[in-house]
Amino acid sequence: MLTVENLHKSYQVGKTSYEVLKGVSLHVGKGEFVAVMGPSGSGKTTLLNCISCYIPADSGRLRLGKTELARLGEDALAEVRNKQLGFVFQDFLLLDGLTVRQNILLPAIIGGVVSDMTEARADQLCEVFGIGGIRDKYPAEISGGEKQRTAVARALINHPLLILADEPTGNLDSKSTRAVIRSFEQAKSALEATIFMVTHDSYAASFCDRVVILRDGVVWRELEKGTTDREKFQDLLLDAVREMGRE
Amino acid sequence: MRHFSEVCALMRRKNKKQYALLAGCCFFSVLLITAYVCMMRAPTVLNVLPEGGDSRKQVMMIFTLAAIGCAVFTTYASGLFFRQKSRETGVFLALGASRAQIRGELYRELGAISLGSCAAGAVLGGPLAWMLWQLFRLCVVDTEEMRLVFDPSAYVLSLAFSVFVIAMMFLLGSRSVRRTNIIDIVQESHKSEPIRDVPRWYGFIGIGLLALGAFLGYMSSAFFVQVLHWYPPEGLTAVFYLPALIGLYMMLLHTVVNGWNGKRKLYKDLIATSQMRFQGRQTVRNMLVMTLLIAGAYFGSFYTPTMGTGAMIGYDARPVDYVYHFRADQDIPLEDEVRALAEEYGVTITDFAAAPMVRLAVDGDDRIEEEGPMGVTWRKEYQEVMQSELFLSASGYEALTGERVDLASGEIRGVLDAEGSKLLFDPSKSLVTNYLTKERLPVTALGPLRYDSLFGRNVMNDEDFARLGAGLPEEWRETQVCFNVENCGATYDFAKALFNEIVDRSTEDVARYDSWDPVVRDRDIAKEGFYFLDPEYLEEAGFSKIDYAQRDSSAFRLGWQYMPEFRVLDKADFVKTAAVFLILFVFIAVVCFAAVFVIAYTRCLTIALTNRKVYDDLRHLGASNAYLRRSVRGQVKRVFLVPALAGTGLIYAFYVMVMYFNGSPPGITYSEAAGLLMALLVIAAVSALMYGVYRLTLAQVCRALDIRRQGGA
Repeated sequence: MLTVENLHKSYQVGKTSYEVLKGVSLHVGKGEFVAVMGPSGSGKTTLLNCISCYIPADSGRLRLGKTELARLGEDALAEVRNKQLGFVFQDFLLLDGLTVRQNILLPAIIGGVVSDMTEARADQLCEVFGIGGIRDKYPAEISGGEKQRTAVARALINHPLLILADEPTGNLDSKSTRAVIRSFEQAKSALEATIFMVTHDSYAASFCDRVVILRDGVVWRELEKGTTDREKFQDLLLDAVREMGRE
Repeated sequence: MRHFSEVCALMRRKNKKQYALLAGCCFFSVLLITAYVCMMRAPTVLNVLPEGGDSRKQVMMIFTLAAIGCAVFTTYASGLFFRQKSRETGVFLALGASRAQIRGELYRELGAISLGSCAAGAVLGGPLAWMLWQLFRLCVVDTEEMRLVFDPSAYVLSLAFSVFVIAMMFLLGSRSVRRTNIIDIVQESHKSEPIRDVPRWYGFIGIGLLALGAFLGYMSSAFFVQVLHWYPPEGLTAVFYLPALIGLYMMLLHTVVNGWNGKRKLYKDLIATSQMRFQGRQTVRNMLVMTLLIAGAYFGSFYTPTMGTGAMIGYDARPVDYVYHFRADQDIPLEDEVRALAEEYGVTITDFAAAPMVRLAVDGDDRIEEEGPMGVTWRKEYQEVMQSELFLSASGYEALTGERVDLASGEIRGVLDAEGSKLLFDPSKSLVTNYLTKERLPVTALGPLRYDSLFGRNVMNDEDFARLGAGLPEEWRETQVCFNVENCGATYDFAKALFNEIVDRSTEDVARYDSWDPVVRDRDIAKEGFYFLDPEYLEEAGFSKIDYAQRDSSAFRLGWQYMPEFRVLDKADFVKTAAVFLILFVFIAVVCFAAVFVIAYTRCLTIALTNRKVYDDLRHLGASNAYLRRSVRGQVKRVFLVPALAGTGLIYAFYVMVMYFNGSPPGITYSEAAGLLMALLVIAAVSALMYGVYRLTLAQVCRALDIRRQGGA
């Protein structure tokens, strides 16, 4: 589904260049729910932004399905973002002037493919994520958790190959966090979505199939959940983070 | 809702205030510029502002400033609009919209806003100028001269400005979409503008450069002409003002980045100072434009009160109520006729005096101009017959003024005004000549006399007067009349009737410009083949023709050589005479101040937008509404206060300097001091208005940041 090979990315601050990604390689398979964890400055968000093609990588390969993202022109990239990727941001990035339902439909409207079926799918997503009752409300009128579930529904409206989520629970309380994680699980189980999530939160990451831990711009460790129960997997994640801190 | 355009329409509805602000700014700027241009290019105004004259230069200079101001505030308003829109654009791009798709919608919106608002501004600018003009005519003065006629070519400038506004909006719009980094666009509203460290000496050196630039700029022209005897090319003297501009920038930079409080109030002003520091570059540029606009606006505002005060004091200072002179060949009313007319109007003449004058040639230094490799230079060349001046006999002077003057043969005394200004008349001379008989008299100029109503005359003893004047025909002889009346303020109708009588009975032969001189005329014609003050060349030289039919116009009243000085008439008709100047300068001030207010308002809203996250964070750290409000006030106050103080202080100091060096000898006269006092009153009134706009803006910014006056956030 998604293959990242030897990805490098540097930022220039004044005359100093900071290398944030130093050859990251990873693979996300279809239907997988993968989290990327790591301390601040480890390169998590930069990795996500490179995969989203929001910022260009310095070198390395990025392949989504059979498409080499780095080779795409601007319009083709826009189409990939619209049709093959779904985005969930920490700050939700919902448009205040649109209702919940309209926000969910936005990627389809941008893609010019709104039909009765699309509208029915938007309504279905509302029901799946428990926001059917607020579909006609505006973002200013709903809670943070509801906003993020709206963002998840929006990310799924165009049947994307991959959902990219950047700290989706970063601005939420524990109740909303649970609701959003539940919505990701529903998206995975009911809609066969593939999810790639960047998070600081070991609780949120413990719901994933696999967790990639980044440190100083490289993959430090990958942990598979397998058949481990969630609480134990969270303990394993915390142990790994502690171990990383000791090194 | 199935189409992208419908989404955009919804977003427009949601953000209608932002669209309204942008459209309003475009409309407002084009409206002001069009109205200004219509007024400035109107033949009515151009007739009053002589080509190449100082007034026209000042009007053009302030117009340029106003145009820059309007261009700047429209650009800032557009920048603010795209900044506010950037989040929406970023979301669209992040969700897969193509740039072409967004650009298409944006261009449609910009097209509608810019074309609509510019067209509306351009169409309504003319009527606005006309309405203001008519209002002025209705409320203040209505003369034949005040009939406003528009020149259609004025719209070319308005069109050029509209094209700039439209092009600038499309350029900024295109740039906002073209950004390749979506993250930057999404986070644009949190971007700050870093600034390098500014040494503390910037403040004091800035002030020094400012003062130096203002002094050099103002004095350089006089230095080149008076000391180097060289006429510098246009624009060269402007270069000498550059240190002032650099100094102003340094001073503002220091004010924004370091502040003037040192470390005393470091923690009290911490948020405001640090936030301003990170928006330094834009803020300082903003403040610079605002400072210049405020200075320009005050320059326009001071014109009316200083001119009015100076004129009124001048009228009051006249020692005689009624003064006029006429050429001896003219059939102008003398005592009997004047008394009869006075009786007709119920006016009592308390004293009446008339005295003969002769026009004699005097010596002096001529200014010979020569074209050289460095441009035009000049040298002094003594001429025994330089120009002509009017001479009174000592007994004639005594009859007119009641002051006895004892003069020996060969002694003369010039007459200055009460303030002793020698700017327009130099009483020192050494040779007087009868231009026609060539009779010569070497003279010694004694200390000047002071008598406002006879300014520019010379006095010699009766024998010299008779000898030198002998053989002069009536065209070279004049009669000076002075008289007082009872209750002068109530004699306007009489004054008007006498004025009309004098004008009606003057022949075309004396329809001459004030400084028309038969001696200079002969010399000019001998040298150049023409005399620029002859009626046929007058308009070409940038002066208005002296037309008896336009006797109430400023051109006539300020320009006619034989214009009577009737205190009651001059006082009552002052506004009429100066109406065109007054309305023009008032309008200039309105345009500049309007631009200042819009720039300050948009800048403060930009600050609010930029700092939203900071204020959210401060709230999370437990900052109260009062603390947040104080911090916002610190920034908004600086945006308003610094340019206001700098602009006001700068122009006032400049005005004082101009007043001081304007006289000969340098100094501040009583009327100038009164004018400066009036200017202070204007500053007080405008400052009160500015304070109102500041309070309004502060409230808007607090509202934008959800900072309430009381209660929790």
